[in-house]
Amino acid sequence: MPIREDLLLKRNNCTRKTLTQQTLKGTVFDIQRFSVHDGPGIRTTIFLKGCTLRCFWCQNPEGIHLKPEVMFYPDRCISCGNCLLSCPNKAHVVKDGAHIFLREKCNACGKCTQTCYAGTLVLVGREMTVDEVMNEVLRDKVFYETSGGGVTLSGGDPIVQHGFSWALLKKCKKVGLHTAIETAANCPWNILARLLPMLDLVMMDIKHIDSEKHRNATGVSNKVILDNAKRLSKTRKPLIIRVPIIPGFNDTKSEVEAIAEFVKEFSNLEYLELLPFHRLGEGKYKALGLEYSASNLAVPTKEKMRELSEAAKKLGIKVREN
Amino acid sequence: MAKEFLELTYEQRLEALCKTKMQQTREKQEVLLVMDQDDHGRILPPPELREITEYMGPSGEMVRDVKMNNFKPKSNHPSGGFFGAKACGENFNLFLKAHPVYINPMSSLAGGYMAYFMGYRNPSWPPELASNLEDEQRKYGVYPGIGATQHFCQDMTIGFRLGWGGLLRKIRRYRKLNPERSDFYDGLEQVVLGVQDWIRRHVEVAREMAKKEKNPTLRRNLEEIAEINEWLISKPPRTFREACQWTVWYQMIARMYNGSGSMGQIDVWLKPYYERESAAGTLTDEEAIFHLACLLLNDTQYYQLGGPDGEGKDTTNKVSFLVLEAVHRLKVPANIGIRVFDGLNPELLRRGVEIMFEDKTGFPKFLGDKGLVEGFVKNGYSVKLARQRVYSGCHWFAIPGREYTLNDCVKINFAKVFEVAFWDMMNDSEIKPSVDELWSRFEKQLHRAVEVTKEGLDFHMKNMHKVFPELVLDLLCYGTIEKGLDASNGGVEYYNLCIDGSGLATVADSFAAVEQRVEKEGLLTWQQLAEHLKNDFKDAENVRLMLSSVPRYGRGGTRADQWAIRIVQAFTKFVKEKPTPAGFNVIPGLFSWASMISMGQTVGATPNGRHAHAPISHGASPDPGFLRGGSAPTAMAVAVASVQCGYGNTAPLQLDMDPGLARGEEGLAKVEALIKGHFELGGTMINMNVIDKKQILEAHQDPSKYPNLIVRVTGFSAYFASLSKNLRQLVVDRILSEET
Repeated sequence: MPIREDLLLKRNNCTRKTLTQQTLKGTVFDIQRFSVHDGPGIRTTIFLKGCTLRCFWCQNPEGIHLKPEVMFYPDRCISCGNCLLSCPNKAHVVKDGAHIFLREKCNACGKCTQTCYAGTLVLVGREMTVDEVMNEVLRDKVFYETSGGGVTLSGGDPIVQHGFSWALLKKCKKVGLHTAIETAANCPWNILARLLPMLDLVMMDIKHIDSEKHRNATGVSNKVILDNAKRLSKTRKPLIIRVPIIPGFNDTKSEVEAIAEFVKEFSNLEYLELLPFHRLGEGKYKALGLEYSASNLAVPTKEKMRELSEAAKKLGIKVREN
Repeated sequence: MAKEFLELTYEQRLEALCKTKMQQTREKQEVLLVMDQDDHGRILPPPELREITEYMGPSGEMVRDVKMNNFKPKSNHPSGGFFGAKACGENFNLFLKAHPVYINPMSSLAGGYMAYFMGYRNPSWPPELASNLEDEQRKYGVYPGIGATQHFCQDMTIGFRLGWGGLLRKIRRYRKLNPERSDFYDGLEQVVLGVQDWIRRHVEVAREMAKKEKNPTLRRNLEEIAEINEWLISKPPRTFREACQWTVWYQMIARMYNGSGSMGQIDVWLKPYYERESAAGTLTDEEAIFHLACLLLNDTQYYQLGGPDGEGKDTTNKVSFLVLEAVHRLKVPANIGIRVFDGLNPELLRRGVEIMFEDKTGFPKFLGDKGLVEGFVKNGYSVKLARQRVYSGCHWFAIPGREYTLNDCVKINFAKVFEVAFWDMMNDSEIKPSVDELWSRFEKQLHRAVEVTKEGLDFHMKNMHKVFPELVLDLLCYGTIEKGLDASNGGVEYYNLCIDGSGLATVADSFAAVEQRVEKEGLLTWQQLAEHLKNDFKDAENVRLMLSSVPRYGRGGTRADQWAIRIVQAFTKFVKEKPTPAGFNVIPGLFSWASMISMGQTVGATPNGRHAHAPISHGASPDPGFLRGGSAPTAMAVAVASVQCGYGNTAPLQLDMDPGLARGEEGLAKVEALIKGHFELGGTMINMNVIDKKQILEAHQDPSKYPNLIVRVTGFSAYFASLSKNLRQLVVDRILSEET
């Protein structure tokens, strides 16, 4: 059964109307220039807020929710008191000389972040128009040309703000840029189908073949994802399937082989890419006031990664390990 | 058979040579404490000859050095100094006589240099010739280049054609034609005689060493060294090895006489020797690489590889690759640039990028032909000439043997000019401070700074030949010997004097900060700002951060980016509006060499949140941390391309890259694309480092832990452990800021 759009909307706390409005404005949490690991050539990656999955190891926790959030880095605080004055909800207090952020009172209006020059309070999630994003994107146009690069939409998952994603991709195509998307494809097919003509490359995650395990680790079944993967494989769009290798979840040969088996007949598969789990996102959990459930996981060794990629290669597909 | 009697391979010899080099470097670190400059191939004189000294270095900064105590110059002046061609030549001749012989039997080339002649010039300028410009130049933080030496490039092929004997005959022939210039010819002659004598002593020592040497490879090598050098005392080089040896002699006396490290197109001048011997089967690539390695161990001279010839045809040839390979095997500091243009053999660039990421020694550099040529032509020169202007110094180019430039010697500290303008405005009770007013005063002061710099250049040009003429570079120029005139005195064809601006980001960010925080948002009054600057933001960290958090130059599309362009346009306009009063063409560029620290020391707190006396920003580079939360290379590349002055001198892009970037073919191609993109936008030079952040942090804490770590500090590369703590800190700040 395909995922229902109303559930998708609900999960992200928004209505169809707000999604439509997002065609004009998107909530962007980062724009990374000289992005060299997200598709061919030198790219600019646009990170859009909102995701349909809740993977416990998520490396971009600030991208999960659609709404803007305040990240709090108390180590940087110089006790200037600006936030106390600017916050309409009294979410900042000083207790025993220390800056305490009462997140439950915060509605992410961003006022404190504007006067926090020390960088203790950072608003993550900026509303931007397509043109504003394009301004950033076009700064590196010459490098897309010399490298065969372009623009990658990432997140979160760009399918959440699919209206904005579509409009942005359309603009990119209009000026002749190579476009790519990084997605879990956990959405109604029609959303993907609408984006596809604007895309030169799809990079899609498959995290597990077993639906129950998938649900336990990500909060959703993989049914829609696998269906969409199959449908994507019937298009001629170049497709990269990516697997984050998470210890204890999918880091055995048989689990990786199952994914490789699933995608090996895909005629448009460029390659299967195995991405080792890393803990670089840990500080961001803290800054968002979230629990980091993957703190006990070890980073897969190089040997482990090689072993897994060798296993997948044996099934006759091209594998890229990182 | 005993080990000492076994034949040695080139590989074994190179390994031994590198080991010796490391020992010599460590010894230098212990004795000289810090070396905030090129590593140089210099070795210390034997302990019994050492004398510690401090003097004004070739780029105008104080240098701690060791000199040989067995040479005392003869003065010809009441001040105790020695001035003029004859006195300089005679003293240099005596200096060479006192200089020990150095032969490492592992090396195929004889010679090693131990001291700098400049260290004996005391005073270095005759007191009666003092300029009256000093006060004003100090006011603007001008490094005027008065008394600066070298920083242009000779043509080595003249030497290859004539040899020392031929040069001597040429001097004597022209002496007869210009009898009134005998003082100059005396000086030149003394230099050549001094070198010949020095070489002759090496021949004798090599023979002696050969007699005692038990190892057959080394004995043969020493015998060959003796033979080759006996020939080279007066005759021109015949073979690839002899050409390398001749180059060693020349580069050593050029370096010792006045610090010159400019060489030019090594792959062009060695090509005929290589091709002839390679075709005849008398020279293998392994042997050629070995000779090149021995040459490159002798000194860290500046060379160009590849690039167009006068007609636009690529000069890349087998020697270009062999030079890359030689440095790759050595893994020592080297200052060699690949000149990138559309017609360049793509394999040369690829090999260069590969080595950059494999060795992580900041080698090679990349040079942007398009911006260089299109810019230089705007001075009224032909494209052909612009192409012949080749890489030969830290951030600069020169036409070999035909152009005098003072490159990298003349700098205006924009931050100091800004400070003068700011206080000029604040102390004027007649007006109301505003950003417009500040800009117009900055322009006015910058204009005057450029003028007083030009006046200083004329002063230099008028007097330099009387003080300390270019006796070594003059030997291999066109016109100097013929006319009997020093290169600084009309000896060569072209005069294009350098004026560089420094501290661009400091000033651009300062303008943006006052514009936004004071004028637009009204968060501070002008008076408050002035107080904070006076007090160096004491107890006002919040204010400092408020100012420094304004979007900075480099991010793209910010007001600071626009200010940077505006500053450069004004600077370029003032430099180019007219030549110096005496009529010398001047060319603007942006560069601060490693002088960010000394330049910053003279400037109080600035509105970009920079503390008083802290370093100013580096050359044309954005300030570290300009792009919080982002990856910087393309942003930097776009920004630095946007502030090129556009007349053929450079504003280098300094890139510190993550080692993980260039994984596989694809990664290498991306780095190439970054290089080409910058040059496509008009960029002129890229100084690149590939640095492991963890390693550089550890090395900063304890430099002795990584004695082999080499970084490209700016236009030059050096052992990290040799740098002062301050300079190391700047390098570390720059690299770490790209992570956050």
